[in-house]
Amino acid sequence: MNTMRTFLESPVAVFNIIVLSYFLIGNGFYTLLMLLALRANWIHVRRLTYQGLDALRKSALTPPVTIIIPAWNEEAVIGHAVASALQVDYPDLQVIVVDDGSTDRTIDRLVKEFQLVEIDAAYHPTLRTAPLRAFYLNPELPRLLVVSKVRGGKPDALNAGINLCRSPYFCNLDADCLLERDALLRLMDPIVNSTVETVVSSGIVCILNGCATRNGRVVKVGLPSRALERFQVVEYLRNFLCGRTGWHLLGGTLIVSGAFAVFHRATVIEAGGLRHDTVTEDMDLVVSLHRWAADKHRKIRISFTSDPVCWTECPASVTMLAHQRRRWQLGLCQTLWKHSAILFRAKYGVVGCLSFPFHSYVEGLGAAVETLGYLLLPLGFCFGMVSPLVLLVFVLLGFLYGSFLSVGAVLVEELTYRRYPRFRDLLTLLGYAAFENFGYRQMILWFRFQGFLKFLAGSHRWEKASHAGA
Amino acid sequence: MIHLTDSATRWALALLLCVLAGTCLLIVLAMFRRWQHIRHMRYQHSLRSHYRSILAEALSGTTSAHKIQLLRQLPLPALELLFDPLFSRRRVPEGRLPPLQALCAELGLIKLWQQRLAEGEGMRTRPESPRGASARIPRLSPQLLQRAKGIRNLGVLRHEPSWPLLVRTLDDPHPDIQSVALRALGAIHAPASFPALLRRLHTVVLEKGATPSLQALQAALACFDLTSSPALLASLRHPHRQIRLIATDILRVMAGRNASREPDLLLGPEAISGEITALLVTDLWRDPSAEVRGHAAEVIAFLRDPRGTTVLYELLFDPQWPVRLRTVQALTGSHHATDLLLLGICDRLRDPHAQVREAAIQTLISLGGRGRQQLFEHFLTSSDPLTRQQIVEAVERTGLLGSLIEDYGQGTGGLEALMVEQLAGEAAPLGLSGVLQMLNPPARQRFHERFLRYEHFTIRLREETRWQGGSHTDPQQILDFPPILAT
Repeated sequence: MNTMRTFLESPVAVFNIIVLSYFLIGNGFYTLLMLLALRANWIHVRRLTYQGLDALRKSALTPPVTIIIPAWNEEAVIGHAVASALQVDYPDLQVIVVDDGSTDRTIDRLVKEFQLVEIDAAYHPTLRTAPLRAFYLNPELPRLLVVSKVRGGKPDALNAGINLCRSPYFCNLDADCLLERDALLRLMDPIVNSTVETVVSSGIVCILNGCATRNGRVVKVGLPSRALERFQVVEYLRNFLCGRTGWHLLGGTLIVSGAFAVFHRATVIEAGGLRHDTVTEDMDLVVSLHRWAADKHRKIRISFTSDPVCWTECPASVTMLAHQRRRWQLGLCQTLWKHSAILFRAKYGVVGCLSFPFHSYVEGLGAAVETLGYLLLPLGFCFGMVSPLVLLVFVLLGFLYGSFLSVGAVLVEELTYRRYPRFRDLLTLLGYAAFENFGYRQMILWFRFQGFLKFLAGSHRWEKASHAGA
Repeated sequence: MIHLTDSATRWALALLLCVLAGTCLLIVLAMFRRWQHIRHMRYQHSLRSHYRSILAEALSGTTSAHKIQLLRQLPLPALELLFDPLFSRRRVPEGRLPPLQALCAELGLIKLWQQRLAEGEGMRTRPESPRGASARIPRLSPQLLQRAKGIRNLGVLRHEPSWPLLVRTLDDPHPDIQSVALRALGAIHAPASFPALLRRLHTVVLEKGATPSLQALQAALACFDLTSSPALLASLRHPHRQIRLIATDILRVMAGRNASREPDLLLGPEAISGEITALLVTDLWRDPSAEVRGHAAEVIAFLRDPRGTTVLYELLFDPQWPVRLRTVQALTGSHHATDLLLLGICDRLRDPHAQVREAAIQTLISLGGRGRQQLFEHFLTSSDPLTRQQIVEAVERTGLLGSLIEDYGQGTGGLEALMVEQLAGEAAPLGLSGVLQMLNPPARQRFHERFLRYEHFTIRLREETRWQGGSHTDPQQILDFPPILAT
């Protein structure tokens, strides 16, 4: 026992310092982001009262936008997503659905629901994509174009959409998402009213499960009934309201939601379009844009605002959740590795010196550090290197700090948008936020660790989380 | 760890207690805020339900002095709360504006908002040089929020006498106050405020770091009527490219709005100043900046001046493709396109840039019979597969194919008939089958009968795309064609 203890002492001590630094950096930063987000969102909501969306809606100078919906085997949800996109309140809007070689009845569903006919169309690709197979259109619905292509993955489908789009801006929208009517106007507001060239504008993604919908619109907001989905509601609030807002304020946005964001088309094309070498093409594109702008000495802005809402269906089963989180972690690690050249490079400003190192350490390596921490602390205890009190205090502190941050996110939501209208909803959210770190977080951590291992194994497989079509 | 343990544990324990207390505090705070919100909503609801009918009567102009007196008894904050939804939601209907304005004036709200505006002058509402994250979070005090809402309300009401105050507000250091004042000035569009806004535009372009944002200024200026356009002359002649560009763009929006009211009328000297017209057709169309030339083309398309045709024709051959594109697009649906312009647009069907060709096709379709004849002629004589494909796409997308086939079924000859025959015989449009399915049975039958004469008639079957993986469907069944054609 003593030999084993001596053998383990040094590595465990080193590892404990890593865990401690991870805990301090991670939680310290998340607390800072939460405080920044609390203030910024509180002010932003009040500013919305005189925002002037109506002026933007009526202005002849508001730039046209194309919504691109890439779809692969989305027959259960595609109809709602397209209906929702067509109902968006925006003065000059086109919708392009790119069916990425679906093997189910996605195309048939669209053809039937929107009475489309197959047409001939000229295709002049600027970005290289897999070949296009067919174009569908209903002359009565000239704003909608459906394209079928050979499977090439989501980035390829988006690139095909970009090639077909004629507007200066495009908005990518996942096929399982529903947009609020004024979401696009709200998303374009920071672009139109910015003094700096805003090339990306993203909004918040909320969980659709538990909400009532009609004709592609959310008519009643509610919490889902299952615990797994409720935990995800809290998680989304924390990530979007606190994390994204905070990073935006610091000027270090690395991630925008691939489910819902507006991009400047010419800039994306100039930066090379979406690439296939990671499974999180959205993050890869944002980092590429940062690099491109710094290399070309261009001052660009990547904006995040918390008022444009896109509703998305979250995984309702543990298996689907595991697929999603493994993919996210794998993509994160791939992107961080791919762009590792910008790490601690002053040329890339806040992104290179703060945001990228933080994401690499806390989000990328964090999955491994935290998982190993969970394994090594009990091991240390077993070999008598850690006293029961220390074990208890550190484990409790880790758990409770997470709860503090989650409850903080719910408070931010409560002080700003109050999207969940019932008092009972607030209590439920607070309860789930308080207990999120007792079981759920560890489960997510395990999936992230698996994603990390997949990255080490060099995997590039896209794990699709299917949708029930709620 | 072993050495760390004691002190670290003590720190961790202290932190643990703080975190625990903090979490509880956040929970209590969230619940307290919800309770406050519910209480506020109840008050708001009771206020609105109590005065809703009086407000509705007042807005329809049927209320009595006694009822207005009831409203007057309310304290100003309550009145503001009552009126707020009228200003914060969608635009107030045009007919309701005069009674709403009169009511607000009578209740002293307009005076209150103007007072807030005047009080704010010279107020420092922003730090001198914000940096980092703080620069991205504008400060917002309750007073500032009230001022901004007051400005918004004056804009919604289109309260013209307030424009001098609003123009002065543009000097406010807070960006929000500036933008909301700009929107209000745009909504009011008092002609006398136009030159002041233009002066501000020049300042913003020429002085680095001047505010408000150019886009907001441009949007406000574009709200004015064409009658204000003479003031743009100096900007259109300005040596700075960006000022000329923005001025031309503003003029384009003004002219476009004017034209949309009376699509058959071109702008003559009674609508747009002769000097501006002369400047457009002599100088601006030859501007060194392609963007200015492009915007100038869009304005010239609305002009009655005879020189406009020649200028537009020249612009159709501009070396820069965005200028050609804008010129072609400017002629979309124009009732006044001359033969010369038609010739120029047809030439753009051979443009090296796909977007210009696409725009030319759409413009020719929008020009009606004359344009379509030219398009069909080009399709029948051209050997360029790319342009032909683009024409087929446009014919299908615009729904023109349906009317062509219907006419063909009725025995119409000419270029249209030749076009249909070529389309069906060689280009074999996929949209044909869809159109045929939607046609009424007699017209479809007539189409089939006429096509029985053509040996080379082929339709591209869709098994490899739409029917892939599905059960095999007889192509004849899909297309409802006689067996001889379904090959």
